[in-house]
Amino acid sequence: MGYQLSREQFDRFLDRLQDDYRVFGPALDSDKGAFSDTDRITYKNIRRLDDLELNRKSYFSPKEIFFPIRETLFRFCEGEPTVPQIDDKKIAILLRPCDSNAIDRLDAIFLENGPFEDFYYKRRRENVRFFLIECATGFDSCWCVSMNANTTKRWDVAFRFGEDEILVDVKSEEFLPYLDDCPQKPFEIRFIYENTKKVRVPEVGEVTLDHFAHELWNEYTARCIACGRCNTSCPTCSCFTVLDAPLGAEKKMGERWRAWAGCHIDGFTDMAGGHTFRQSRGERMRFKTMHKINDYRKRFGKHQCVGCGRCDDVCPQYISFARCINTLSDCIEEGKRK
Amino acid sequence: MSINTKKVIKNAYRISKVRGQTALRIRVPGGHIETRFFALIDEIASRFGNGTAHITTRQGLELPGIDFERIPEINKMIRPLLESLGLDREITDDGYPSAGTRNICACIGNRVCTFANDDTTAMARELERAVYPNDLHFKIAVSGCPNDCIKAALNDFGILCTVEPVYDASRCIACSACVETCAKAVTGALSLRDFSVLRNRELCIGCGECIRKCPTGATRRSPEKSYRLVIMGRTGRKNPRMAETFLKWADRESIVKIIQNGYAFAQRHIDRSLEKEHVGYIVDRTGFATFKDEVLQDVRLGEKVIVAKHIQWGGYRYTSDAGFR
Amino acid sequence: MINPFLPSKMKILDIIPETEIDQTFVLAGRKPVKPGQFFQLSVPGAGEAPVSVSDFEDDKLFVTIRKVGRLTNALFALAPGDYIFARGPYGNGFDYRDYVDSDLKVIAGGTGLAPVKKVIKHFIANKSIASLEVLLGFKTPQDILYRREVRAWVDAGLATLTVDKAGPDWSGNTGLITGYLKNLDLSNLENCKFIVVGPPIMIKFITIELLLLQVPEENIWVSLERKMSCGLGKCGHCKIGETYVCLEGPAFRFARARRLLD
Repeated sequence: MGYQLSREQFDRFLDRLQDDYRVFGPALDSDKGAFSDTDRITYKNIRRLDDLELNRKSYFSPKEIFFPIRETLFRFCEGEPTVPQIDDKKIAILLRPCDSNAIDRLDAIFLENGPFEDFYYKRRRENVRFFLIECATGFDSCWCVSMNANTTKRWDVAFRFGEDEILVDVKSEEFLPYLDDCPQKPFEIRFIYENTKKVRVPEVGEVTLDHFAHELWNEYTARCIACGRCNTSCPTCSCFTVLDAPLGAEKKMGERWRAWAGCHIDGFTDMAGGHTFRQSRGERMRFKTMHKINDYRKRFGKHQCVGCGRCDDVCPQYISFARCINTLSDCIEEGKRK
Repeated sequence: MSINTKKVIKNAYRISKVRGQTALRIRVPGGHIETRFFALIDEIASRFGNGTAHITTRQGLELPGIDFERIPEINKMIRPLLESLGLDREITDDGYPSAGTRNICACIGNRVCTFANDDTTAMARELERAVYPNDLHFKIAVSGCPNDCIKAALNDFGILCTVEPVYDASRCIACSACVETCAKAVTGALSLRDFSVLRNRELCIGCGECIRKCPTGATRRSPEKSYRLVIMGRTGRKNPRMAETFLKWADRESIVKIIQNGYAFAQRHIDRSLEKEHVGYIVDRTGFATFKDEVLQDVRLGEKVIVAKHIQWGGYRYTSDAGFR
Repeated sequence: MINPFLPSKMKILDIIPETEIDQTFVLAGRKPVKPGQFFQLSVPGAGEAPVSVSDFEDDKLFVTIRKVGRLTNALFALAPGDYIFARGPYGNGFDYRDYVDSDLKVIAGGTGLAPVKKVIKHFIANKSIASLEVLLGFKTPQDILYRREVRAWVDAGLATLTVDKAGPDWSGNTGLITGYLKNLDLSNLENCKFIVVGPPIMIKFITIELLLLQVPEENIWVSLERKMSCGLGKCGHCKIGETYVCLEGPAFRFARARRLLD
């Protein structure tokens, strides 16, 4: 069902949702950049159209809304683990197709991989509704088309945000009542079919063990500083670490959390007793690259990377993941010619 | 040739080694100048000077090789430079009204530098408006962060722009990037306890490294800006020394007011029998307690501000070059 | 909805000191478990870590733990009668059926003995294989685990034991475990199967030697140690290539393991 909303009607729509949904979207966090007097676009609660910032890419992805950076798994009180309750209000997230696809990539890990569904992920994820932001032009640093992540069929409501009007396509009936007095107008969402940035992704099977030991990774040993920003800004990075901390004065009480982890960050592979794998940062870059474009695909039949380009946007060393993938492809091509 | 040297010096011209020749000292607050002035500077140097300009130790420009009689003509020409200072006073064709208070220095600041916690150029200009013109020989410098690249610690009033980190444990992944950088490169004010970061506020110098290093935005900038004021550092022939901290976590308004009060303090206590007396030596005579009482007069310090109780300056005295005896 | 992160309480029945820094905890619990599988053991507030099961009997599970940090310090402070928390077992262990009728050689270094101890005991008691030989290496005599059992295996001519370094009061073998491969009876090489467990560096060199001896890679099994934070295929710490060690391992056929590059 399509609608055409004025800015006021959109605000009223948001208003009506507030009782049943928490709405999140990209918003300006003024003065919240790492450098002084800089801002950052982050996912925040949206109450009015003016809260939204649609002209710039968000620094972090929306994943933190349903996969919290740090989450309490349970508390040991009187020796028995107690799982904290969560706010079970539904969550509507305004996101672009790349991020919508990224959630699909997270779903594969948390809901499909291994014998169990991830309890904590699932209970939040079930509440998530997709408010798709039409993204027909992308940003300069995106390569979603190369990753087949430029389109999606998954949305509950899709929006085209124009200057004076917002066109709406409602797929999920649960949102119809919130728009019932709005003027109808057929609307079909568009997608982007060409990015300025293009990435050539090798086919599964083209990557051989030779490419693991290739010298192309050495460059990253010299350049990467293992800060982990590429991991924390990535909408598909799903790794975490389980952590325990004592709670209160009584030693027998404790709290178990999980917190995001990143394969570029020191300590990711540390084992009890001191052994560490992938000590060099080039090896970490190789590990991440293979995971994003090769290993995950072998396991789940799709690329993990959705080409949102955030890793390229946030790297303080100006390392480009897009260029890295292309370099790997070049090496494979060169190998074929030999 | 009859030259009133005192008048000429006050007008920002130097008595140079070459008899009959002077040098024009152009103020560049914060060391930041609009390049549109280069043509003017070039014209003065080419027409009246020797075609060169010296970048001074205090980030000004000095054009040497100028004949004294050219001063009135040059003063007319430099009017746009004076106007660009943005002072709250009428600009005339008479050149710089004073040269005692030296050019206010600043590092490049947060217009460019990733370390800087504030716009040091803007702050230098604000201070310029607050204290200039003044004949007292004061040196003021603004550093964007406690790295102190501008060496504010060698000035009478040195301002180090700081930031108080605000930590949100719910965004923290316990990666230790902040703890490690603070331990290795700063003061070791941070520690990780049970996977959350603890900050020792006494050790924290507000450099902001933890914020720069945080990959999740768990440590962010506090909305208010804050400053460390270091005072009475100096070079010189008697007792060169580093400045010591007077205030921590101070607000900008207080800093400006205190510096203005510092001028009044110096006016009251200066030894007029001397050709000039630097403020640091005045403080040495009156004692820190008097200085403190007088400069904090009518200053409403914020709740976060910490004021030094005592200051014991160090430095060395050439009279006690013990190592040579 | 099942919450696979929730551990259950297990009572400590007994604590057997093995070395100065290793203890075997005997836990009360009947869980279907295979040798080579692991549990996520935890002490509330101190941490959770993967520990391979070293032995099991009707109502008892045995885990051998080395004191290396925060969690294990907390574990070592416990006494029989106390409870620890555990979830599992997880992962793929060793399947006895893979070795039926073979000449099985178990090569274990250090704490690597723990995940195969039950395999050794099983095949001593159960004669479904043609022969069994064990090669054991430890750093020093003080590091030898399961002394009583190991001595019995050595005395029975079943096992060769070596230590990397020893003082004058050690009368046994010294030198790296790789040097004792030649002691194994490999006369019927086609029928030999090998299980190699131990530190990564030891696995690397033993397997290189075995391949040089023309052992087909499908006749070698290894157990890989990784930092598993969840044991459930979610946390990503143990992933190598498209493989999750916690799900598809820790016990692997070497044909697969050799393609897992870190």
